[in-house]
Amino acid sequence: MNAIETVALTKRYPNGRGCSDVSITVKEGEAFGFLGPNGAGKSTYVKMLVGLIFPTEGRASLFGEPAGSVAARRMIGYLPELYRYQEWLSGDEVVRLHAKLAGLGGEETKRRVPELLDQVGIGLRSKDRVKNYSKGMQQRLGLACALVGDPRILFLDEPSSAMDPIGRAEVRKLLYDLKAQGKTIFLNSHLMEDVEAICDRVALLNNGIVLQQGRVEDVLQQRLVWTIRVGGFEPQLLEWLRTESGLAIKLAASRLDGSAVLEVELESEEQAGWLNRVFVDQGMTLYESAKMRTKLEEWFVTELAGKSHRGEKA
Amino acid sequence: MSIIWSLTWKELMRKRVVLLTGIMTAAFLIALWFIASAISNEVFGFGLAEDDPKFILEMFARGMLILSLAFFFGGFVIAFLSIFSSSSAISGEAELGVLQALAPKPLARWQWYAGRWLGFVSFGLVYALILFTAIIAITGYHASVPRDPANLISAYLFFGMIVVVLVTLSMLGSTFFSGIGNGVFVTMLYGGGWLGGMIEKVITQVSSLSTNGGGKLGESLSNIAGLLSLAMPADGLHRMMLGRLFNVPGLSELIGMKASGQESLFGIGAAPTMAFLWYALLYTAAAFAFGAWRFQRKDL
Repeated sequence: MNAIETVALTKRYPNGRGCSDVSITVKEGEAFGFLGPNGAGKSTYVKMLVGLIFPTEGRASLFGEPAGSVAARRMIGYLPELYRYQEWLSGDEVVRLHAKLAGLGGEETKRRVPELLDQVGIGLRSKDRVKNYSKGMQQRLGLACALVGDPRILFLDEPSSAMDPIGRAEVRKLLYDLKAQGKTIFLNSHLMEDVEAICDRVALLNNGIVLQQGRVEDVLQQRLVWTIRVGGFEPQLLEWLRTESGLAIKLAASRLDGSAVLEVELESEEQAGWLNRVFVDQGMTLYESAKMRTKLEEWFVTELAGKSHRGEKA
Repeated sequence: MSIIWSLTWKELMRKRVVLLTGIMTAAFLIALWFIASAISNEVFGFGLAEDDPKFILEMFARGMLILSLAFFFGGFVIAFLSIFSSSSAISGEAELGVLQALAPKPLARWQWYAGRWLGFVSFGLVYALILFTAIIAITGYHASVPRDPANLISAYLFFGMIVVVLVTLSMLGSTFFSGIGNGVFVTMLYGGGWLGGMIEKVITQVSSLSTNGGGKLGESLSNIAGLLSLAMPADGLHRMMLGRLFNVPGLSELIGMKASGQESLFGIGAAPTMAFLWYALLYTAAAFAFGAWRFQRKDL
């Protein structure tokens, strides 16, 4: 069953921002990463799905229910990017409030709230007023609020942007666990490592338009990059190699033992064998030759290179 | 809806609105005690026996004066409390980001709106009841006050209706304007209604402006006052409350006192008719429905 289905979903703001014609399908149990530079329209898209704003055109549904309807909202947990909880409540009270609004009964609330507060790491400070919480703690509290109704789908907009590395690792583990439980996760994040580690599929949004979407493995395989470590490499050989092979070759590192690490973008894997032979023929020692896994961050930068984006200068 | 209702009460308690209002009200009531004492004690110097009808009438007149003064202030207090407690209910909270976390929960937006409205209105009504009772009690201790329960209850209901009108309007305004902007807007509107009431009082007290005299100026002023009262019915309700409290029709019958007998700018002037109450109720219901409709469609 499709957890999320949007068809030509569009939101136009008077200032020209928003997003247009976004058609995305996310299956139940899938983790989906929504990527894009600042101001691309990612949060606008999520806000339409959770019912905070209304689309100008197009349609959206969550598990078959119209996005924004009470029935759809019963199935979601949402951590907004920019939010503030009632500063005059304690962390415990905030989560209890969200539990009540999510329709949890008294006994279940009593059991689930302390459990969740411990799980997100603020159990010991749960009686403190929210105004005394750091940004990271507020984000942990936000996660507890998103999870309290045991939602089928989680929308997380920059869930660990204010957290320290320990917090980020904890959130990543939590997301792994939720995914293992079969929850659908929709993740808006600039933290590519998290997206790469957790998500099955990704979409890249720029200026409100989806540039690409697909499985994480597939988008990362679009560039065939080979890493080769050789001994006896002379820097002047680099230009000769480029001319000879016609390939994009860069010197990634020079090591103390005299070896060099080269990164080569190939058109086919056969070229790797040919290149290895060239190194050997030139009297160099071939230590290592392997296909390099492209990082999502590189893919992101490459895809957006040269394109203007409205959040930041081009 | 009840969750949001109780949350609103908790907010008003935790943000010390209750505490500060309580402290300031206590200070006002202490001041009123001395004012009432000064105004009524003078009558004892007139050398009249306490069962003398002149003494009784004078004490009743003094009681009316104290009540007029007290409710003049009390009207402002409940107006500002109603306006400023609810002026940030929608836009203000959306700007802060509070609604972004709450609105996606499975609660219809109109229920959220109604819950907030019930919270602010019930708080205002409880406060208005305490203030009303305290004013009547202090005035009754020092002078004479009307004691007919039906009149007292209906006077309180008119007083409470001011809270309902202002909270409803303030919440409607908050679907358009930011918290501060909305507070200023509704206060200005309240000021306009109050000005309309003052014009009505001036017209009843300055004979040259009387519409009965056929003066065009009086007629124009009366029209302006009427329009201002229609735009903001709070002051009209305030005058209806005083009219009901003093039981002006009863007094007219008994001792020939006119509605405009409270000859001061704090008094009743010309109290609106019952049709005005129906107008105020309709105005409030329409403002509530429009506010809920706006919130239902608002991008947060």
